[in-house]
Amino acid sequence: MEVALKENPSLCYQCAKCSTGCPVADDMDLLPHQVIHLVSLGMGDRALGANTIWMCAGCYTCAVRCPNDIDITSVMDDLRSKAVEQGIECPVPEVLAFHRNFIKNFSRRGRMHELRMMGEYNLRIRKPFHNAALGPKMFLKRRLHLFPPRKVRGFKRWMRKLWKG
Amino acid sequence: MERLTSRMALFPGCTLESSSISFETSLAGVLRVLDVPCPTVQDWNCCGASSAHALDHKLHLALNLRNLALAEEQGYSDLLVPCAACYHRLAGAAFELDNDAELLGRLNTETGLDYRGGVAVRNVLDFLTRDVGVDAIAAHVTEPLTGLKVACYYGCLNTRIPRLECFDDREYPTSMDDIVRVLGAEPLDWSYKTECCGASLFITAESVSARLVSRILKDAVARDADCMAVACPMCQNNLDTKQAEIRAEFGIAAPLPVVFITQLIGVAFGIGESELKLAHSFVPFDLAQKSGE
Repeated sequence: MEVALKENPSLCYQCAKCSTGCPVADDMDLLPHQVIHLVSLGMGDRALGANTIWMCAGCYTCAVRCPNDIDITSVMDDLRSKAVEQGIECPVPEVLAFHRNFIKNFSRRGRMHELRMMGEYNLRIRKPFHNAALGPKMFLKRRLHLFPPRKVRGFKRWMRKLWKG
Repeated sequence: MERLTSRMALFPGCTLESSSISFETSLAGVLRVLDVPCPTVQDWNCCGASSAHALDHKLHLALNLRNLALAEEQGYSDLLVPCAACYHRLAGAAFELDNDAELLGRLNTETGLDYRGGVAVRNVLDFLTRDVGVDAIAAHVTEPLTGLKVACYYGCLNTRIPRLECFDDREYPTSMDDIVRVLGAEPLDWSYKTECCGASLFITAESVSARLVSRILKDAVARDADCMAVACPMCQNNLDTKQAEIRAEFGIAAPLPVVFITQLIGVAFGIGESELKLAHSFVPFDLAQKSGE
């Protein structure tokens, strides 16, 4: 089943308010208003390889400020899904690895196990000692639980229909 | 308040049961003092944040549909959601599904659920200021936080759900400030109340997140804040757990304790450490030292 994106990027008149307020604009190759411009011209495919859709922190500043009420953050989500679907090489592989690992993590029991999530993320990005100093400190502060959360009954089977990743 | 408290359940979310358990236990303590019953919704699942919506909108809707359906089935009219990320996902999905009967019908069929709609997803700041009310909070203060200067940090997800009417001003919210004021403390006027801390970039693009965190800390420290109050586990994590390293890198002189608003309320209510768990914060929050200055 497809869930259609309800946004209409053609409403954009290129005021660039999204880009001026974006906290990670400095780190993007295409600015948010440029991405929206490409989409409105029917050239959205050109945005799929940009790091913009991966650097977006999902803060929704652009979405709530847009004078034409375009939920730009959700457009970024949609473009990210399309990029993955089309197998386009991800310019920020850590972000894709994080998301895939996160979804896989909670799909097992219905709830996230943070320790395993961090450990498996490190393996995915092939940096086993990434953030390694933080783990023991979190543990000593009693903020890292060794054991996984209780299983949500029937969740794994229910989730299998929705996510094949 | 009666309407809500009689049929409201808590949706804790994954982090409130692990790395941010202090948010859950301090909220439980505060609600007990305020005499607000709030059982936990049974069998809840992860809301999908930070990742389901980032890769698959339908998966995001389905996960939250399941939680909303559980609340409805268990007879609750309202879900209280302390985690800002869970709140954003649940409230956003509820808004979308309530306004698209055809989509709701299709998703129900595909996921084997039977949600009719209308469960209200409630933010903790919204509930505390508009349902409980600051006067009721003030009435329970036994140990006023006199002289404590607090930078109230709202982050992104508490006030920015596109198109959904917000309980507060999106750009310069004041609900947390109103709570802090009745605790006897002084909420500060500052510029980074709703700036982004980097969210999951804290893990995937550390240098970017560190820069964002540094700006937030720098402004609060420059305004002489004694502590920062937050209402989001991710914000607390990002602003607190690597603060020493970030302060060193960006030349920020003073350490800044980052506590959940419910911990701060709990201190003023005289709730004990077993529920407040202030020791979970990396940057120590020493109230005696601050108010003695």
